[in-house]
Amino acid sequence: MPARDAVSLPNTEAFENIADHHIVRNFVGGLRMMLNDRTTAAYFWILVGITFLGVVGPMLAPYGIEQTQYSETGQILSAAPPSINHPLGTTFAGYDVLSRLLVGARPTVITGLLGGGLILTIGTSIGITAGYVGGRTETILMRFTDFVYGVPLIPFGIVMITFLGVGFLSSILVIGLILWRGGARVIRAQTLQIKQYPFVKVAKATGASRRRIIIKHILPNVAPMAIFFLALGVGYAIMLQASLTFLGVASPFTPSWGVMIRNAFNSGYMSQAWWWSLTPGLLIGITVLSTFMFGRGYEDLITADSESVEADTVAA
Amino acid sequence: MSSMKRYVVVRGLQTIFTLWLVLTALFVMFRSMPGDFTSQMAVAGASEEALAALRAQWGLDEPLYVQYWRYITNLAQGNLGESPVYRVPVWEFVKMRMFNTFILVAPAMTFTYLLGALIGTITGSKRGSRLEKLGIIPVIGVGSFPAFFLSIVLVVVFASWLNLFPTSGMLSAGGTELETWWGPYLTADFGIHYVLPFTAVVCRYLFIPSLIMRTSVVEVMGQDHTEYHRLTGLPIGNRLRHVAKHASLPVLTIYPVSLARALGGVVLIETVFNWPGIGYALVEAVLGRDYPVVQFVFFVVAAFVIISNFLVDLLYGVIDPRIRVED
Repeated sequence: MPARDAVSLPNTEAFENIADHHIVRNFVGGLRMMLNDRTTAAYFWILVGITFLGVVGPMLAPYGIEQTQYSETGQILSAAPPSINHPLGTTFAGYDVLSRLLVGARPTVITGLLGGGLILTIGTSIGITAGYVGGRTETILMRFTDFVYGVPLIPFGIVMITFLGVGFLSSILVIGLILWRGGARVIRAQTLQIKQYPFVKVAKATGASRRRIIIKHILPNVAPMAIFFLALGVGYAIMLQASLTFLGVASPFTPSWGVMIRNAFNSGYMSQAWWWSLTPGLLIGITVLSTFMFGRGYEDLITADSESVEADTVAA
Repeated sequence: MSSMKRYVVVRGLQTIFTLWLVLTALFVMFRSMPGDFTSQMAVAGASEEALAALRAQWGLDEPLYVQYWRYITNLAQGNLGESPVYRVPVWEFVKMRMFNTFILVAPAMTFTYLLGALIGTITGSKRGSRLEKLGIIPVIGVGSFPAFFLSIVLVVVFASWLNLFPTSGMLSAGGTELETWWGPYLTADFGIHYVLPFTAVVCRYLFIPSLIMRTSVVEVMGQDHTEYHRLTGLPIGNRLRHVAKHASLPVLTIYPVSLARALGGVVLIETVFNWPGIGYALVEAVLGRDYPVVQFVFFVVAAFVIISNFLVDLLYGVIDPRIRVED
């Protein structure tokens, strides 16, 4: 069948046309729209910068994180203020703060991406299932969401960590298992709306399977809201992970920014060696603020109707 | 008012059922957790027979339903059990700690919500202005920092450097003995210890009511009755009062949940300030598998959310008759 082969042959053409694919087109268009807004673009580039730091940070570190620094006279540089050799000073044990900060960027970025990804996945799955399937499934899922919604975050997180075992990854898993709650509510509400649109009814009438409708029709339409929750989730995950670390229930051996603040606090030299905890704290705050502001700017751009989701997003 | 009466009864029964459900869920959850309070003694080198005897003494070797029945009947008689770790009745262990947390969180969160509602009304009413766009950013910015970092900054700046407030604790050591248990809470010494933790709570949570109120105010400002008030020439102050009243429902709804969550979240602030509250005791209790204590504290926080949701629902039913119809 030479004719058929002729049709499927021109792979190169398909490759050239990839820019015309609707997903790529939407993605590029959306990105351009976002970057045209000055404030949103600023937060976007901060986040790109921090992610970049997570990738290359450990390579840039001038010293090892557990390499004791000595002064010219051979004494340990314990809690030394910022100087030319150590621009951010040293810790009580004589470690270089800048090096620890650069190395600590990676666990923070991993926490954000993994935690945010988990929040997004669980929240979207539960939201869409509840909204689209309806009936008893919806009642059970939403009552469960209500229950998780009333749960006090940090104490419950600690209980779940004792279940799973103290560690860096288990603390991220716990974050994902609790913080999906805000997203699930909003995505369910959106699914309920989309379900009423004619194109979904037509698809159903022509015999499309439930799976096809969810993947082809529901998912693309809740995607913007899901991405908004991804942005918020990244911020909340970083904040909560730092808090659990501070309380000593996440791994103290992963040198994240939260661990630095914990060490500074526990050393009792907080007031003297302020440079030790100031920069990691500021970086955590800037990262969380950027995810939040970026998410809000993005949501402003994508939602034409002014349906308020503030209560579910702010109080996650 | 029969529909209202019915609404109250139905919602009341639902609330009681939910409370029972939570109680049972907490019981099952903590009994199915790996290890019990003897785990740490085993690590410390206690013999297997001694641990088994200890488990038998505390009834931990009996079937779950027997333990559950005992738990429920004891609870009905007001007996919360005993902490196996500290060897004191649960109530004795938690009561002052819970009160210390409550006296920090409740006034601080109430103040946060009032201030937040004010900030939200001011920024939300100036739609499209620089104030609306930028006024809220400092509030969000401060709220983006973890609570423990905010507390550390407050301690370092205001206690260590400026020496204005004590660095930690709730009362100075060796203060005068007072006869009543509530006496110390009325002293100036308590007040001076109270300022920084209070500020930390406000800084951490202020963005929540501010943002919700702002969105709500922006919505109400766009409604017809606001425009009508403007046309009648009502001064701006009176108009904003109307708007704030209409816009306050979402903030009111989230207030009790927020308060209950802060009761748990304040553990970070308590840790930095060494505040003798329930937060840090709870962390210790979880790590030490002190289930009776943990179970009770979790139940109190959950009951707080459930009951205040019930009260908010009733309030809604009074304000908006349409809600009384069963959902």
